[in-house]
Amino acid sequence: MSQLRAAGGGVFSGYDLDVRFYDEMFGPRGNPREASRRLHAVLAELAPEDLVKLQDGVYRHFLHEGITFTVLDADNVTEQIIPIDCVPRVLTAPEWEHLERGLKQRLAALNLFLKDVYHQGRCLKDGIVPIDLVLGCPQYRMEMRGLKVPHDVYVAVCGTDVVRTHDGFAVLEDNLRVPSGVSYMLACRDAIKEAFPRLYRANRVREVSDYAELLYATLASLRPSQENPHVAILTPGMHNAAYYEHAFLAGEMGIDLVEGQDLILRDSALYTRTTSGLRRVDVLYRRIDDDFLDPVQFRSDSVLGAAGLFHAFRAGNVVVANAPGTGVADDKSLYAYVPEIIRYFLGEEPILANVETHLCREPAGLAYTLEHLDELVVKEVGGAGGYGMLVGPHASADERARYAERLRADPANFIAQPVLDLSRAPCFIDGAIEPRHVDLRPFVLQGRDEQHVVPGGLCRVALRRGSLVVNPSQGGGCKDLWIVED
Amino acid sequence: MLARLAAEFYWLGRHAERIEHTARLLRFQLNRLPDRPVDELTLGWQAVYRILGQPYVGMAADGGDAETLVIPDAYTLAGKLVEERANPDSLVSCWEHARENGQRVRAQLPLPVWTCLNQGYLWIRDSNFNTAWTLGPSALVNEAVDRLNLLAGVVEAVMPRDEAWRFMELGRFIERVQHQAELLAGWIEFNREEAGAGALSWADLLRVCGAYEVYCRRRSTNVERAQALGLLTQDPEVPRSLRFAAQHITQLLAGIDPVGARYPMAPPHRMSLSLTASIEVEPTGLSGEGAEFFRSVGQDARVLHDLTMGAYVTHSLSRELAT
Repeated sequence: MSQLRAAGGGVFSGYDLDVRFYDEMFGPRGNPREASRRLHAVLAELAPEDLVKLQDGVYRHFLHEGITFTVLDADNVTEQIIPIDCVPRVLTAPEWEHLERGLKQRLAALNLFLKDVYHQGRCLKDGIVPIDLVLGCPQYRMEMRGLKVPHDVYVAVCGTDVVRTHDGFAVLEDNLRVPSGVSYMLACRDAIKEAFPRLYRANRVREVSDYAELLYATLASLRPSQENPHVAILTPGMHNAAYYEHAFLAGEMGIDLVEGQDLILRDSALYTRTTSGLRRVDVLYRRIDDDFLDPVQFRSDSVLGAAGLFHAFRAGNVVVANAPGTGVADDKSLYAYVPEIIRYFLGEEPILANVETHLCREPAGLAYTLEHLDELVVKEVGGAGGYGMLVGPHASADERARYAERLRADPANFIAQPVLDLSRAPCFIDGAIEPRHVDLRPFVLQGRDEQHVVPGGLCRVALRRGSLVVNPSQGGGCKDLWIVED
Repeated sequence: MLARLAAEFYWLGRHAERIEHTARLLRFQLNRLPDRPVDELTLGWQAVYRILGQPYVGMAADGGDAETLVIPDAYTLAGKLVEERANPDSLVSCWEHARENGQRVRAQLPLPVWTCLNQGYLWIRDSNFNTAWTLGPSALVNEAVDRLNLLAGVVEAVMPRDEAWRFMELGRFIERVQHQAELLAGWIEFNREEAGAGALSWADLLRVCGAYEVYCRRRSTNVERAQALGLLTQDPEVPRSLRFAAQHITQLLAGIDPVGARYPMAPPHRMSLSLTASIEVEPTGLSGEGAEFFRSVGQDARVLHDLTMGAYVTHSLSRELAT
């Protein structure tokens, strides 16, 4: 492994560059990239104690505002402050524009795909996607067959996980059900702006603060007919991991944050219970999984949703965003077919690449995975949050053997990908700046006529040295992402 | 607004008021620790616990080792009311509940209010009662009151006077009536039972209610029972008087439900007017020996709570469907 030191000295004196990984701040010779030059110069001038103060200020900002996520285990509900790193990651405007085009293209294709699989099923008949993969997917909702979704927008809000290697950007997964993290993006931005006001201004960083406005406009554009639609967010409640985000978004948009108990069905329409009677809901931005949306239609033991909600949706009296059944398009097995889906529905080449994926449901994929288990990352197709996966190179022989048993028992439930050389970005860790692996989740909005991507995203970072796991519940944190003008 | 959120704002107000009530009583008692005789302190603790509706767990007034135990006993008794999570009325429990209410209405709560509430909670959660005690028995309670005052100031400065604010204030004042009524009744009863002990003077009562200075300005430093009770019951300018709170309740209800304030009145409006009238017109407790009047005011406040919840939060499905 060849290593060299980053330029700058000071807090960068221990910053090892590893040529295997793309470094977000430094070029291959250890000099700062053009877009990061100002940031690097400012950081290099700072003493470690100054950075400690900045980091502490950023942490206190999160602590006092209660910017948290909730961790649930068998016995406890723990509210934790999401770790935030004070060093922003920088992308250039052209890099961002490339990403933006790719993300919009991907969401457009996936919405067309969802419409197709719930109506004519052309792509299934034409063999673009295996029919059994779609119809056998637990997230495929028979209830959605033939149902007209307003403006054909199945996915109004999408969070796409993007990674960078030496080969460029690639999509790791699409989150099309209830993607979360946008509030942390906005909170990070506020905290970092406060920490580096002059630097922020000098870099002409693109703003993300109009996200809530765009989200409201997107949701309102999906309304059935009313002029001033009543838009609400449906939350499972304050013990949900993403409750902070639900409350934050409702507050920013000035709309109701409702729980299932606040909703009532009347004459096939959905109403909220207010202090002065009932008020009809036109658009519901649900942050509850399909299974729990409606105990009449889906899981009968759900106390989180509202009885009759799906009936009101089916009757066209309320828009539910994202629509039920969108999970079929972000299943990890289906992910492998997204490039073909883009070609089929849009007649274009995918702008953003996929990560090489082996489908264990296919005999060749299973054989390859079993043979290379020590080199691959294996994931459950319906898994999320970094749970239930095997990172082959980091697992013991015992762990791999046990996982192989699970693979053989239910191969269709797994996919495998190579361990990615995720790019690294500078982070302030224990008094010095060190490189850590990062990914990125930009958020794409699809309204009736328009698509929007705010120039930024949730930049997640694996804070443990050498770790690739960026999930906050497993040692990850977040940092701000700056899109800087040339 | 959503009925559930109205209830959360209402309870946020109630919990904040409960913290203040407990803290005021505690501060009064802890400030007496350095110079009051043991039996007076013991009776003081008994009174505080009775007024808060809690079983007394300290020593008896005539205990043998009373002098040596007075500070450890105060530590235990204060700790139970400050940091004991199992006690729903302790400062830490009430703050936790208030913060939970705030969290549930976070989308409607202005950020400075939420931040202040959250900071207060984090402070009390992370405070070590034992360490704080070494800085002075009342240091922690004093800071709790200061933080509560800060919260009240931020609410006053930034919250729009909308339905959310009205429900929060309504909760605060209904809680206040209930607690003040209990306090006055308890004080009367305690003085009657412990006649001559001088453990709880009428000046002390005014101090607990933050009304001693105003009393002195208006009358004299010689505090009379009937006049002290009169001030705390009927004076419309003293924030902790029953009349002050009852009038605010009436105004708040009129803002929440203007139609309900007109004939034929909605049940909460009717009850609040009846409560105000009973305080203004016939304060029998002021001259009589008994505390029944104040007990009945406390009971009326409980009924008002039920009527408010029934009218605006838990109204039945059939009523909703009829609208």
